[in-house]
Amino acid sequence: MATEPADVLVIGAGATGGVVARRLSEAGFSVVCLEQGDWHDKSEYRGAELDWELVMRKQWSTSPNVRGLPQDYPIDETDAEVSPLMYSAVGGSMLIFAGAWPRMLPSDFRVRSLDGVADDWPLTYDDLRPYYERSDRHFGVSGMGGDPAYPPGGEDPPLPPLPLGAGGLKVARAHTRLGWHWWPEPNSILSVPYDGRRPCVQRGTCQQGCSEGAKASTDLTHWPKAIAGGARLVTGARVRRLETNGAGLVTGATWLDRDGGEHFEPAKVTVLAANAIGTARLLLLSASPAHPDGLANSSGLVGRRLMMHPFANVGGLFDEDLESWQGQFGCSIESFEFYETDERRGFVRGAKWGLAPTFGPINAALPSRAGTQVWGPDHHLHVRSHLGRGANWGLFGEDLPDEANRVTLSATLTDSSGIPAPEVHYRISENSRRLLDFHIEKATESLREAGAHTVEVDRLMRYSGWHLLGTARMGDDPATSVLDRWNRAHDVPNLYVADGSCFVTSAGVNPTSSICALALRAADHMVDTRFNQQVPL
Amino acid sequence: MNGRSDLDEGRRAAFAAVADLLIPEAHGMPSAADVVGDARLRFVLTARPDLGEPLLEALRPELGTDAADRIAALEREETDRHAALLQVVVFGYYTDGGVRQLLGYPGQEAKQLYSWKVPPFIEEGLTDQVLARGPVWRDPATGRRAEQQRPTPSGRQEE
Repeated sequence: MATEPADVLVIGAGATGGVVARRLSEAGFSVVCLEQGDWHDKSEYRGAELDWELVMRKQWSTSPNVRGLPQDYPIDETDAEVSPLMYSAVGGSMLIFAGAWPRMLPSDFRVRSLDGVADDWPLTYDDLRPYYERSDRHFGVSGMGGDPAYPPGGEDPPLPPLPLGAGGLKVARAHTRLGWHWWPEPNSILSVPYDGRRPCVQRGTCQQGCSEGAKASTDLTHWPKAIAGGARLVTGARVRRLETNGAGLVTGATWLDRDGGEHFEPAKVTVLAANAIGTARLLLLSASPAHPDGLANSSGLVGRRLMMHPFANVGGLFDEDLESWQGQFGCSIESFEFYETDERRGFVRGAKWGLAPTFGPINAALPSRAGTQVWGPDHHLHVRSHLGRGANWGLFGEDLPDEANRVTLSATLTDSSGIPAPEVHYRISENSRRLLDFHIEKATESLREAGAHTVEVDRLMRYSGWHLLGTARMGDDPATSVLDRWNRAHDVPNLYVADGSCFVTSAGVNPTSSICALALRAADHMVDTRFNQQVPL
Repeated sequence: MNGRSDLDEGRRAAFAAVADLLIPEAHGMPSAADVVGDARLRFVLTARPDLGEPLLEALRPELGTDAADRIAALEREETDRHAALLQVVVFGYYTDGGVRQLLGYPGQEAKQLYSWKVPPFIEEGLTDQVLARGPVWRDPATGRRAEQQRPTPSGRQEE
């Protein structure tokens, strides 16, 4: 392995690892990335195969605890009301995400000022907008400009919107009658050929890997460009800890290969891009006599304020065949009608709604979201009434930060390399429960207006921890934040955290678009300040 | 039991009884007992080898010959094996070509997009009506819903 330190060591080759590596390598930095997973070829994805609905519940589950693959680390979630979901690979959890790509709204950055709860961000929507626009071009985002849920101006999504599908059109018409907001959802899924990639074919299997390569993931959109720019990506590399010197700077990472061999990768600057659970875990694992509570943790906030978006699924069933097993599993339409605070509702903040397809016949028989199992002769009527005849509103409620919701290290559970696993402690707040109750009621009204004869509700889905946020929040005060406004650790001037750990508040939208825009902004800052960067001697 | 349907005679009979109870012949659809034979079991257990061991346990003779009692006992005391048994029945049944044909489900098909066409929601003017209601976002400067920017007489937006 290298003996000369890289300019930048990136840990994790997922969404933000790819963003940072591409930007820095194109700017001439020498970049090394350590990724515990591997590359996947599109031919490995099962969406077009007969066994798709079988393997999506095991090998292609979104839960590492269900998959149990050697490259996964287990998560002790016995004290959590929601299961964290992720995937270890080049491209990371983008391989299994839906592709929905909404931005945060202006009010999301000013929650304390506007609603007297949580904290304001040290930046605004307008600060982040140029990075959203660049990021949209890099990933290839389909959508339609002019959404009145956002301030006017700026660039439209680079590609035309994806189809609404029959269900989306019914619900859009219903919202028009109700006078409620709706808009075509932006998705990082191609509606037309773009950047050498093929467009979406509406197969509806986005969360088990896109076999067309139409859904964005950094193994397709960023890593080839980063590698062409000179970046070196090492797969099967599981980082055990970050090492520091007497000056309090990170000198690199100790990591294990697939055979258990130990290595050290030196670097001038280190960027953690391992998601809000993996990054917190690594900072805690990097405790030393100089940092007994974990690295970059003088605030005591590393691992705390975990936010995962309490999620409800509200599914409508219709008489007519909507072929609702097809369509992008990002979303067809979104609604921000009830997103902003209205104190008369008995809670603060709100939720974004996204309308999604409904899977195939196996999910109709054994529902993974809202619904019941019916056996005996009526089983057939049940499956016929569900298959292809549904529309699902997914409700992402804003999750206010709570220091008791946190990641710690397990004293008993380890990964396959013997490294302590993360323990997740997570409870849903009363505000979130009220928020979900209200939004479920309104989403039910939406679907009834659209003509649904039955509405089925999964009030708080256990396996819905797709959005991992907040465990190393940014801020201007080192006493109350882990990172500064540029994603750099207050305590360790050559350590950045590029993933969703940096979130101050969760907003109520799918966060990948914002996570990637923030990572691009952090990478720009690294380029801009390269000559002032403190590095180990 | 990796990818093979090497159920002994007793377990095969127990599986058929459970399959017939869960998904019987009715409403023009066949029974799972008739559909999920050795070929379908092989398919399921090849795709999901993790189900093999719990399936064998769920079908063990000690649980008796009554399918309803077997399912109830598993659901009560061995939830993982109960789930595995249900999954094997359902997976086998709904991956059968004949069953899918009867349901009118062709599988997850690739469909060509025609993004150059004006979408129906534009043709119907649905987004026009959303726009006509004005901004939805909350302006942090005022704390209230943003106001519509009105065109000036010259047609330019107000600053």
